[in-house]
Amino acid sequence: MVLVLALGDLHVPHRAADLPPKFKSMLVPGKIQHIICTGNLCIKEIHDYLKTICPDLHIVRGEFDEDARYPENKTLTIGQFKLGLCHGHQVIPWGDLDSLAMLQRQLGVDILVTGHTHQFTAYKHEGGVVINPGSATGAYSSINQDVNPSFVLMDIDGFRAVVYVYELIDGEVKVDKIEFKKPPTSNSAP
Amino acid sequence: MAKKGIPEWLNSSLWSSSSPPPPIDDRLLRNPSVTPPIVERPPLSPSPSAITTAPAPPLPVRPPSKSEINDLQNGTGNDEAGIDTPAAASSVEDVSRKAQVVAELSKKVIDLKELRKIASQGLPDDAGTRSLVWKLLLGYLSPDRSLWSSELAKKRSQYKQFKEELLMNPSEVTRKMDKSKGGDSNDLKIESPGALSRSEITHEDHPLSLGTTSLWNNFFKDTEVLEQIDRDVMRTHPDMHFFSGDSAVAKANQDALKNVLTIFAKLNPGIRYVQGMNEILAPIYYIFKNDPDKGNAAFAESDAFFCFVELMSGFRDNFCQQLDNSVVGIRYTITRLSLLLKHHDEELWRHLEVTTKINPQFYAFRWITLLLTQEFNFVESLHIWDTLLSDPEGPQETLLRICCAMLILVRRRLLAGDFTSNLKLLQNYPPSNISHMLYVADKLRSK
Repeated sequence: MVLVLALGDLHVPHRAADLPPKFKSMLVPGKIQHIICTGNLCIKEIHDYLKTICPDLHIVRGEFDEDARYPENKTLTIGQFKLGLCHGHQVIPWGDLDSLAMLQRQLGVDILVTGHTHQFTAYKHEGGVVINPGSATGAYSSINQDVNPSFVLMDIDGFRAVVYVYELIDGEVKVDKIEFKKPPTSNSAP
Repeated sequence: MAKKGIPEWLNSSLWSSSSPPPPIDDRLLRNPSVTPPIVERPPLSPSPSAITTAPAPPLPVRPPSKSEINDLQNGTGNDEAGIDTPAAASSVEDVSRKAQVVAELSKKVIDLKELRKIASQGLPDDAGTRSLVWKLLLGYLSPDRSLWSSELAKKRSQYKQFKEELLMNPSEVTRKMDKSKGGDSNDLKIESPGALSRSEITHEDHPLSLGTTSLWNNFFKDTEVLEQIDRDVMRTHPDMHFFSGDSAVAKANQDALKNVLTIFAKLNPGIRYVQGMNEILAPIYYIFKNDPDKGNAAFAESDAFFCFVELMSGFRDNFCQQLDNSVVGIRYTITRLSLLLKHHDEELWRHLEVTTKINPQFYAFRWITLLLTQEFNFVESLHIWDTLLSDPEGPQETLLRICCAMLILVRRRLLAGDFTSNLKLLQNYPPSNISHMLYVADKLRSK
């Protein structure tokens, strides 16, 4: 039972001051094993804050990140799933499923987590699953001004993953659940 | 009637702990069928001669009793390696006691009163007997032998159920719930591309929930308790290979201890886990696991759980913080010990509490809450527990008497010492003759 927090596009301090207080009250240290961040934090203070929630932090570079040392892509294995991480501004058209699927095949992962659109989505296609956690602060994007803060918590248990989607709609936290399984005969590249 | 001075029998030089009498002599002296008036007890030197005359008659008795024990030990015919080390068991006393225990245990319906009487003088050291007797004394097995198999099966399956319900993490619980609801989880490779189906859930049921009824929140809260249990189990008896070290056996035993303590903590939310419970569980589990009967040893964990619960039912108030200052709490129990000491040995009491101002809490707290497991080595504490569990007055009363006896036995050194030396002495109680001590404790019984 591994809990993985996926979030990104916070744009602190340029477009948002901080995470919503309701989100902050839920994100307490000790519960989460990994954090994967799609990028655009943008400052070191947010990096440090995320580190206090969980010391195992994976982060990729968004176009507004002030730390230039983050990589463009990252892959990691949790349970039986391979996860891929990329900010998404590199993939054109932004948020297009087929182009993201191409990236997914390139990285060779089961779950691809990208951001940039500031919109939560979860798609599946033959190659795997693409998850976009949206913007955790609700910061505006270049294509959308009215953004609901959202993030994703994945519970990975061997071949099964349960994705909990946390959205702040009208001041209330709404939680949705998505489940999927990976068939045991894995044909993804070792 | 109030006694001003020390009772006569306390004046005997026997009670000075600086020269404990050799163990063999003591077993003879404690023979219950021969109770000379204590003040006239001869000094130790004549007793060796008593031993030399004694062994001749029992020798023919020993072989049959040995085979008797072998036959009756749960019928497995294992040879008990530790059964008769020649030195310790060469006394009449020991052999007859063993025979008595075995005879009692082999009856169809066991007379518990009789068993208690025999057990309070100490049980033979082979683990099979002790395991069986403790289970009887703690009420886990009923005196009627024919009910044993059905009762054991019932209890053991109940424990298995506890394990399944309480030791699962929320992930598995939700998976089980979904399976039973016939939920379909999206299969990655098979279905057609498109958006994944979302299902709305109530606020209680997600991992970051802070709700009090949330499975997840309670799981994370329990994690603190689990960590505490884990730390304590790792520290239990570090000198014994059974409990600590890197071997697979030690790990399995540690896991068993952890499981029992976790389930106890979850079933008793009022008291949860308190440091020290591991020390009380350790001897019980050790005895049951070392049962020569493999069938019993395999279920040592479940048996130990129920016996631990039974033992704790008498002592749980000691662990409850809210009850500390109440009539049933630990403070009151310590006060009772103090009063008991005052009743039997006012001079010592006055010296300890008034002159040197040693608050009995400094030493008695550990004695009482941990049932003396930390004051003596493992084998000795097993002997003490034989008496504790078998005494008809109940373990709490017996414990107080034994503590009082412990104090009285070192009275010479205590009376001569000041605060520091006395406290040091009481917190590191010197090794002493246990049967001796238990005998004194017995004498302290209020008539």
